[in-house]
Amino acid sequence: MDAMIQLIHVSKCYDRRAALSDVTLEIEKGEFVLLMGPSGAGKSTLLRMLIGEEQPDEGQIFVQGRNVTKLKQSEVPSLRRKVGSVFQDFRLLPKKSVFENVALPLIVQGASTGDIRRKVTEALRAVGVDHKKDQSPNSLSAGERQRVCIARAIVNGPIVLLADEPTGNLDLDRTAEIIELFKLINARGTTVIVATHDPHVMTQVNRRVITLMQGAMVPEQRVGV
Amino acid sequence: MRRLFYLFREAWANMRTNRTTTVVAILTTAFTLVCVGIFLLLYVNLRSVAGWLQEDIKIMVYLEDRITREGIQELEGKLKADRMVAGTIFISKEQALGEFRAQFPSDSHLLEGLGENPLPASYVVTLAPNFRSPEAVKRWAERVRTMVGVAKVDYNQEWIDALAGLIRYIEMVAIGVGVILSAAAVTIIGNTIRLALFARQEEIEILRFIGATRAFIRIPYFLEGAVLGACGSALSLGILKFGFELFRQQIRSAGRFSGIENMISFFPLSICLALVVVGMGLGFAGSFVSLRRFGEGRA
Repeated sequence: MDAMIQLIHVSKCYDRRAALSDVTLEIEKGEFVLLMGPSGAGKSTLLRMLIGEEQPDEGQIFVQGRNVTKLKQSEVPSLRRKVGSVFQDFRLLPKKSVFENVALPLIVQGASTGDIRRKVTEALRAVGVDHKKDQSPNSLSAGERQRVCIARAIVNGPIVLLADEPTGNLDLDRTAEIIELFKLINARGTTVIVATHDPHVMTQVNRRVITLMQGAMVPEQRVGV
Repeated sequence: MRRLFYLFREAWANMRTNRTTTVVAILTTAFTLVCVGIFLLLYVNLRSVAGWLQEDIKIMVYLEDRITREGIQELEGKLKADRMVAGTIFISKEQALGEFRAQFPSDSHLLEGLGENPLPASYVVTLAPNFRSPEAVKRWAERVRTMVGVAKVDYNQEWIDALAGLIRYIEMVAIGVGVILSAAAVTIIGNTIRLALFARQEEIEILRFIGATRAFIRIPYFLEGAVLGACGSALSLGILKFGFELFRQQIRSAGRFSGIENMISFFPLSICLALVVVGMGLGFAGSFVSLRRFGEGRA
């Protein structure tokens, strides 16, 4: 299988404290990976590096064969258009409707009005909130907001979906729903990486788990298939 | 198209959201530009008055008494062929005497004892508009002075120098005040944009994460700065026009300076449009400064 993501001896320090130390890993195309570890283990740092938001002090990072550490500032947007991001705090714009929030990545890319209407409707339907498209995100429940956030991340058909603590603000039932949604997206061919410290997520996913402790990788485990 | 619409809508939404800041920025920019405009208006009108007065500057070329008719014709030919000369009027000795008697009737007996007419023939020369600077007039007079048949060249050097000096002075003050107050306008608009940037920090971060280019993020703020500058500039022109008409009305009703109210004028439409464009440019510059300060990585 092809490697979608490769990290080779990646290290990063903040104020002499190691956020990541000598991390080497490979994630294949179409894989579903859980990035586990307690708060401060380096999960978010790793995800931020994958979208060019942070640069490692040492090592190389490849996304779909492209060296992310060598990207120019002007090349970062094109990387981010291929990698969708989902956040714990949703990061939706309260003054825009659900539809407008999800349409944003397409507008940024200069998509036509027809394309925007079609793709946003599809994405909202895929996550099950198409009936709320005209509402403000503030009027939605936490679970619904996270669904909108996922719709925004998948609307332009990314090759990779990164989710940083996506269930941090959700109860167990909503967590299960969101994980099912990620599985569905993964089943369509998108590589999914979910960073979490929540052990419930691990029991629901039953896929490859990469664990970080104080910035270092612990030997890998694969739970189920 | 959708993208362009989005960028304009964002700029508009931003201005509407921060309505008070936007209005304050437009007002302060307008009053700042009014100060610049007053000097500019003064400068433009003084230049036009100066140009009008300079047209009145005549150079007297007095001829030698022994000059022959052929000599006069030759000199006239040379003066008329000179590209610096716009017009000449010949005044014969007899005409000069006649004018003296007409202007000073009570003193005309002074000339009677002299027997022969002592007044010289002369040419009254008007120089072309491009050659009315003090240096050009001086150079021309020195050259003509050496011509055969010319006794003396006379003109009011002090008056020309004083007028040119006044215009230069006003020009320098206008430039100085313009530069300082333009910088103030840039700072005012820059601070407004900065407030908008901080208010929308989260939105900017979201846009970055979904792959927006730096230009896409920045354009609404550039648009906002340009609109603030243009509105401030247009408002300042309105205030200036109002003040100008009030001033003209005052002069007219005072009656003492009759005629001056027709000599002064407001900026022509081309300058008004240019000033709005300058205001737009200042706003653009304010946005540029703020975006740079806000952070290269952040927006």
